[in-house]
Amino acid sequence: MNYFAGIDIGSTAIKITIIDENRALVGQRISGSGSMFYKYAHQTLDDLLRELKIAKEEIVYTVATGYGRKLFKEADENISEITANAIGAVAAAREFGEIKTIINIGGQDSKAISLDDTGNVVNFAMNDRCAAGTGKFLDACAMNLEIGVEELGERHFHAIGTPLSINSTCAVFAESEIIGLLGNNHNVEDIVCGVHYSIAKRIVKLVKRVGIREGIYFDGGPALNGGLVNAIENELGKKIFIPEHPQITTSYGAAILGADSFDYQKMNG
Amino acid sequence: MSNRLNREIETPAEKQNRHKAMEAITVLNTLKESFKEPPKAMGYFYDLFEEVYCHQKALHSDKVKVGTMCIQIPSEIIYALDGVPIRLCNGFYTDDEIGSDLLPQKSCPLVKASVGHLASKNITDRPDMIYSPTTCDQKTKAGSTIEGFGYDVVDVDFPRTKESEISREFFRRSIRGFSADLSAKTGKKLSRKKLRASISKIGYAQSLYHQLSELRKSSAVPILGNDMFLVTNAFFFDRIDSWIEATEALVEELEQRAKEKVHAAGRVSPRIVYTGSPPIFPNYKIPLIIEESDAIIVADETCSSNRMFNDRVAVDEWFVNDMIDSLADKYLKACTCPVFTKNDDRIRRIIELVKSHNADGVIYQAFAGCTVYELEQRSVLEAMEKEGISILYIESDYSPSQHGQLSTRVEAFVESLKIKNRKRR
Ligand code: SF4
Ligand code: SF4
Repeated sequence: MNYFAGIDIGSTAIKITIIDENRALVGQRISGSGSMFYKYAHQTLDDLLRELKIAKEEIVYTVATGYGRKLFKEADENISEITANAIGAVAAAREFGEIKTIINIGGQDSKAISLDDTGNVVNFAMNDRCAAGTGKFLDACAMNLEIGVEELGERHFHAIGTPLSINSTCAVFAESEIIGLLGNNHNVEDIVCGVHYSIAKRIVKLVKRVGIREGIYFDGGPALNGGLVNAIENELGKKIFIPEHPQITTSYGAAILGADSFDYQKMNG
Repeated sequence: MSNRLNREIETPAEKQNRHKAMEAITVLNTLKESFKEPPKAMGYFYDLFEEVYCHQKALHSDKVKVGTMCIQIPSEIIYALDGVPIRLCNGFYTDDEIGSDLLPQKSCPLVKASVGHLASKNITDRPDMIYSPTTCDQKTKAGSTIEGFGYDVVDVDFPRTKESEISREFFRRSIRGFSADLSAKTGKKLSRKKLRASISKIGYAQSLYHQLSELRKSSAVPILGNDMFLVTNAFFFDRIDSWIEATEALVEELEQRAKEKVHAAGRVSPRIVYTGSPPIFPNYKIPLIIEESDAIIVADETCSSNRMFNDRVAVDEWFVNDMIDSLADKYLKACTCPVFTKNDDRIRRIIELVKSHNADGVIYQAFAGCTVYELEQRSVLEAMEKEGISILYIESDYSPSQHGQLSTRVEAFVESLKIKNRKRR
């Protein structure tokens, strides 16, 4: 059997996805990127293959994407995370329907991508170089609130008062806002809810830049946070689709592109 | 793959309410938490704003609600006809954003927010009719836009000069017309007794405000300017009797504080007179920055308090028509709105407030897009310079994000006042 690997080397995590000839998901793995992208990427791939009992030779085509993609020299091809994200999203949401807009929140950036009817990228927007509204921002908030980042989603739904907005667009100032609210004995839940809405508002502004078109897909690690999803849906006034593994859409897209390239090359000699 | 399609999503109205609640609570929490102990009697006002703006509590379900677009509509007449006045000046950024789709981007945020609020149809105390004085161009034109949302909007003619006998007579007629129109719509007759009673009630409310202002003249000011704005803004929509009761309690507590020399700010905090576009809850952006920068607002010359509260109606004949004339005179003559030309009165008032309240400087805020306040800036600045009064001019809007740059300017101004004071001593 031939397999295809997509490797997404992001600023905070390395995501690897393996698919088979039928483009079916065979396995996936996520690990921190740490300071040695290259070494960790190889290690992660080896671990995953061992776990799936797939020999290295069976991987016939590898595509790298993400910030660190150029460092993975063994890749057969590399593509930008925007394209990979779009391909992955369209495939992952097949049973949901057509995808027109993608919201992606990563470790250190967030983006909105707009697709045409055939799934090609027509426009995209990225946040300005600031951690506000990214995974890092959520991590920092959770740390200040002294709760685990995975707890944020659940806490959101237990807010009892008005969500307490965090108005600073800068992560550093936002931190002091949160500390101030805590100091005045406000509910952690109300603060969590306010953090989510503040991020959601910023994300919606970003999406507006490319145009909100229905068929909205949300991925990246923060998409696992149900509270944030709720806030974004409310701010958009629209339902959004969350894939089962929101973190691997991009590497999944890279793997699919790999399979397509492989087939194409075979057909054209 | 899961897609959990059955998650509930807020309706547009729920979303708007949540946004407004989030704006409101931020300001209320700041007032309660960022300064020294607020007076206990402020609790009533904090709760009132929270109930109305965070929980959409309606206050007047049993009354005819008369919307007014500016302070120039005498509330005395509305009360005498058993209605309640609701001033529609709006301070919400959420509503400003809605209004931005309906009016030119460059319009004043207050007008955009008022229009956005009425456009949304999501209103707890929905006005049954609206009276719109033809003051600034933007408010005047907003009237017809608002009419398009299905409201009955009546223009109340307003002169652009106030010194002449012609304009005095003009406005008297205009107010007579307003009163006849409202009387026809409510099916009530404007009786001598009721008008007299409401003039004295509003007069009493004004006297309470006056007592508060007097207390702010002393060296230990017992209340923050921002708390005062909350009190006067509440007058826009609250039930008048509850407002009076709460303000009486506030006066009493502040008198006590004055005796004990409780100062709401720091010992050397500069004293500021605030003027310009009116701070309407929750847009206390500049006033909050001022007081967070260790200054204290001791008086203001704006349409949300001093200008609306300070001069009382003087009646010499207690017949209905004479009373209406006195009301018209008071509203016109005492008003220092920048739509007037000439407007020496406003300058005189500001100087007077600086002197009577022993202020260290003036902060003049104009909303970006408000041409009249922007135009009048020059003459006010020149006049202050002549008097040797320090003044800072700031342009701002309702967006929450400019905080950084604005606070740096205000802080620098406040610090310069402190240094001046130190040198003087
Ligand atoms: S500034 Fe002029 S138009 Fe605005 S509320 Fe005051 S009097 Fe009315
Ligand atoms: S702030 Fe200026 S433009 Fe806005 S309503 Fe008042 S006078 Fe008119």
